[in-house]
Amino acid sequence: MRRAPAVVIAGAAGFAGIVAMHAGSAPSFLSGTGPPAPVSSSPTTTGPSTTPAVPPTGAARTALGTSEQYGYGVLAVKVTVRGSRITDVSVARLQTAEQYSQRLAQQVIPVLRNEVLSAQSTHINGISGATYTSEAYAYSVQSALDLLGVK
Amino acid sequence: MGTVVSFHVEPGECPVADAQAAVASACARLHELDDIFSTWKPGSPINRFRAGRLRLDEAPPEMALVLELCEQARVLSQGWFDPWAMPGGFDPTGLVKGWAVEQALAILRLAGVDAAIVNGGGDIAVLGLPKDAHAWRIGVRHPWRPEALACVLETDRAVATSGCYERGPHLIHPRDGRMLFRTASATVVGSSLPLCDAMATALVVADDDGPEIARSLEGYEAYMIGVDGKENATEGIVFATAGVT
Repeated sequence: MRRAPAVVIAGAAGFAGIVAMHAGSAPSFLSGTGPPAPVSSSPTTTGPSTTPAVPPTGAARTALGTSEQYGYGVLAVKVTVRGSRITDVSVARLQTAEQYSQRLAQQVIPVLRNEVLSAQSTHINGISGATYTSEAYAYSVQSALDLLGVK
Repeated sequence: MGTVVSFHVEPGECPVADAQAAVASACARLHELDDIFSTWKPGSPINRFRAGRLRLDEAPPEMALVLELCEQARVLSQGWFDPWAMPGGFDPTGLVKGWAVEQALAILRLAGVDAAIVNGGGDIAVLGLPKDAHAWRIGVRHPWRPEALACVLETDRAVATSGCYERGPHLIHPRDGRMLFRTASATVVGSSLPLCDAMATALVVADDDGPEIARSLEGYEAYMIGVDGKENATEGIVFATAGVT
């Protein structure tokens, strides 16, 4: 059963409060594979308690959310957690609708003066961009959290 | 509003526990604002207000505040940002997101946090500076290469980006209602994130008038990418030098 998109900004454990506390080391800010999405690392914030089945710490676990329809096609979000804390959220699969893709394919793709081909290759503190259709994104994230057993 | 909000905090002199409490408080505030302004929540004040079923004096005080901000933004954008021109009625969503992120950051500032960056779906508010750096490095999403950045900007102020490249037609020309534009992406940098939000939207729908609108707003900088790849940046935009720090 689907839950409301509001959960993305609201209650999911630590989700709206992904925090990186950097007392000493230089901060870094990288997204996972796929189109960049705002992320932070090593959350230390408190949140609702975990269910018994979820290990409080340990290896990172990743799940791919369901593919959801959005304006121009389909997207799926990949979520990584450690215990019940979300450490990474990124768009893993992005498919633009047929006509849009074809239109792009037929054009010579312009090169931008300062473009960085791999967002992961450079140190940045954050990414600014037009957002995905929030509902599709939120549903995909929620389904990934469900798979990981994170509330 | 269905937006993911992330916090990156450098407490500095502020005790870590205080900083964590401030983040929790900021999240709670974001929930409150979402309850008021989410157009997806059937009984939300914004939905009732736009349907004419809630008077401004009956609404939460934030409603009047946002209305005022929208009016200011409409004037400053020379009418290109017009939340009253939306098909379903008044819709301040484009500005509310940035305003909410800014509210969240204010809570961190009041708690004594030295430096922080709050990112709500690409709307970015900043406090202070990152450790050992003279500016925040903010990547701008590439409009047609999903893994790439259009550029990296250096800034100590808020950043917002608007564009048509992903949600399909959701930007609407305030005068003739058309929905496809020649600007793929517009990024605005300035001290007020809600105004950056509104201006970024305005620059996309303003098409060829975009650069002139961008230059007209003092204290705000803009970087625009046309669907043909042509780029346009106001004088105050600072591109980071290529490569890793």
